[in-house]
Amino acid sequence: MSSVFARKGARLAAGLVVAALAVTGCGSTDDGADGEKITLTVATFSDFGYEPLIKEFQATHPNITVKTRVTEFDQHHKQLATRLGAGAGTADLEAVEEGYMPQFRQSKDKFYNLADYGAKDLASQWLPWKWQQSLADNGNFVMGLGTDMGGLALCYRSDLFKAAGLPTSRDEVSALWTSWDDYFGVGTRFAASGTKAKWFDGVGNIYTAMLNQIPFGYFDTTDAYVGDTNANVKSAFDKVAAAAANPGMSAKLDPFSQQWNVGFKQGTFATLPCPSWMLGLIKDGSGPENAGKWDIAKIPGGGGNWGGSFLTVPKQGKHPKEAYELAKFLTSPESEAKIFQNVGSLPSQPETLKNPAVLGFKNEYFTNAPVGEIYAKSGESLQPNYRGTRDADVRPVFGRALARVEQGKQSAADAWAQAVSEAAKALGK
Amino acid sequence: MRGRFDRHLTPYLFVAPFFAVFAVFGAYPLLMTLWMSLHDWHLINGAGDWTGLANYTELFSDPDFWNALGNTLSLFVISTVPQLILALFLAALLNTKLRGRTFWRAGVLIPNVVSVVAVALVFAQVFGRDFGIVNWLLGLAGVDPIDWPADVWSSHLAIALIVTWRWTGYNALIYLAAMQAVPNDLYESARLDGASNWRAFWTVTVPMIRPTILFTTVVSTIGGLQLFAEPLLFESKGASTGTGGSDRQYQTITMYLYEKGFTLFDAGYAATIAWVLFLVVALIALVNFALVRRAVASR
Repeated sequence: MSSVFARKGARLAAGLVVAALAVTGCGSTDDGADGEKITLTVATFSDFGYEPLIKEFQATHPNITVKTRVTEFDQHHKQLATRLGAGAGTADLEAVEEGYMPQFRQSKDKFYNLADYGAKDLASQWLPWKWQQSLADNGNFVMGLGTDMGGLALCYRSDLFKAAGLPTSRDEVSALWTSWDDYFGVGTRFAASGTKAKWFDGVGNIYTAMLNQIPFGYFDTTDAYVGDTNANVKSAFDKVAAAAANPGMSAKLDPFSQQWNVGFKQGTFATLPCPSWMLGLIKDGSGPENAGKWDIAKIPGGGGNWGGSFLTVPKQGKHPKEAYELAKFLTSPESEAKIFQNVGSLPSQPETLKNPAVLGFKNEYFTNAPVGEIYAKSGESLQPNYRGTRDADVRPVFGRALARVEQGKQSAADAWAQAVSEAAKALGK
Repeated sequence: MRGRFDRHLTPYLFVAPFFAVFAVFGAYPLLMTLWMSLHDWHLINGAGDWTGLANYTELFSDPDFWNALGNTLSLFVISTVPQLILALFLAALLNTKLRGRTFWRAGVLIPNVVSVVAVALVFAQVFGRDFGIVNWLLGLAGVDPIDWPADVWSSHLAIALIVTWRWTGYNALIYLAAMQAVPNDLYESARLDGASNWRAFWTVTVPMIRPTILFTTVVSTIGGLQLFAEPLLFESKGASTGTGGSDRQYQTITMYLYEKGFTLFDAGYAATIAWVLFLVVALIALVNFALVRRAVASR
């Protein structure tokens, strides 16, 4: 029986030890006196487009070998957490996504303060809000250097729009809406046209996009919980819930699920909010047979940011100076411009957003949409969104409430009431 | 003198590796988890304040814990009971003079060696709401498509099916090994006494493999109560928080542990769940042991 528990316990306490044992080889173990050969590891989730840049870096730093480690999104952040807790196994550079920043900011002591290596001199390189997101301890602590961001746009299927008698060109489509009410109004027209496809993929993405357009959501900028009283949150919730209850509107798909991917391939929905990093997912899901059917229009409700990451330097690394140099190189305006052209991650720096190579970039798959111009515009005008320290405790609670409405299990009012009490319980501890 | 020393020490040396490994991977995590459960413990930042039994008090008044316990027991019953009964008959079948015996015997183990991630992917497609095979078949019979993960009964049924599919063959092979050790003369005398195959199965086979049935019951209980991978992978990838659906309808105890410890970084509370689960497993395994021993003995 105890072996049973051992397995359980292992997962909790020493599973971390096991993980640590398995990966100790990955960190940099060799000593790095000047000129001596050292190895740096960069851990990211999904393709950050670093391979060609790393080759460049190694050419100018012959004593440094850079290795990469790529894991799936959730896995990456959970592994980082357990490795930080276990005290071994982190890479020299670890990517942390915006949504996870509040959680890791609570453990800033496990990271090097990049201000000690001169990061503050780089501050003007980023959009001000992106720089703010990288700070802790009232701006005294620089957690990481910003990589990309996720300015919002709206992707739509022009073939389905045509079938429903709606305009198809991106300018005409953008002119269809300013507010989300307009957007849902067009959706009602779309649904009434008798088409089999639904208006949007599911409540998850729409609601996330709406929350990212307001200055703060569940926590105000003093970090006090306002999820139950913030009128902006309630209004977004009610609008999405009302749309979800309308049978023609939602394809009822969980974002990023397998069925969501099938939905792309089968064309079961016509629109979804798409930050620039989403374009790759849409293309992969829809496949070559749907090339030229997607296009990109303006997002209703104004600019907003969804996603984007930071490169952090965990204290377990033995070469913080070199790691910082690498992070600085990978996040430089020149590098960000190259990354945008290679993998489409939107630069978070004003200079790069004005770069002609970025502005002139078009995406063939999306009907040759001028993605450089679209996202650069949305990136410059966007209003950042504040996430509270305990955002991760309450955000999923409200997401699940909308899923219950979408599944027809609860009315909007009941789902909201349950979410409010669950959130209070989650924070009560 | 030296010989006596050897005789005293050597046996201990021989068993020492087990105890050394057990101390590192068994006893240490066990006690460490207990220690963690008595603290306010952050996954990354480590020990906070000593809280004594506060985590336990909170857990016992936590409706989400009782919900997870209920789900776990429900999934355990509807997956383990049919699984073991099915395995028993499957083993009896494999124990006969079947054509291509080795092929069938190896075949039943295949579901068990397939990666659980692959299994979950395939079953997610099978139970897909819009384009799944199950819903398509139901549609032929005029039944409306079912959103399998959305409700308690449908999600439990689907997950139990995955578990049963994965583990029936494994248990069947264990039963088969035990059945092969049953002396043939017992069957011969049973046949001389005019017993049918069915009768021989119940009066010879089952009592003779009783220890094995006990063993599989206990092991399946342990496995069933720790059910984790199948329901977690049943969650869609975008929401792999361990919550088990929009209303925690298929969240098991280990998933709740995962949610608290690895999604919300509350390692102290997760350790508490681990310890309570340990006690629940021990208790149920004991009850099971007693029940099955009596039930099989009375045959």
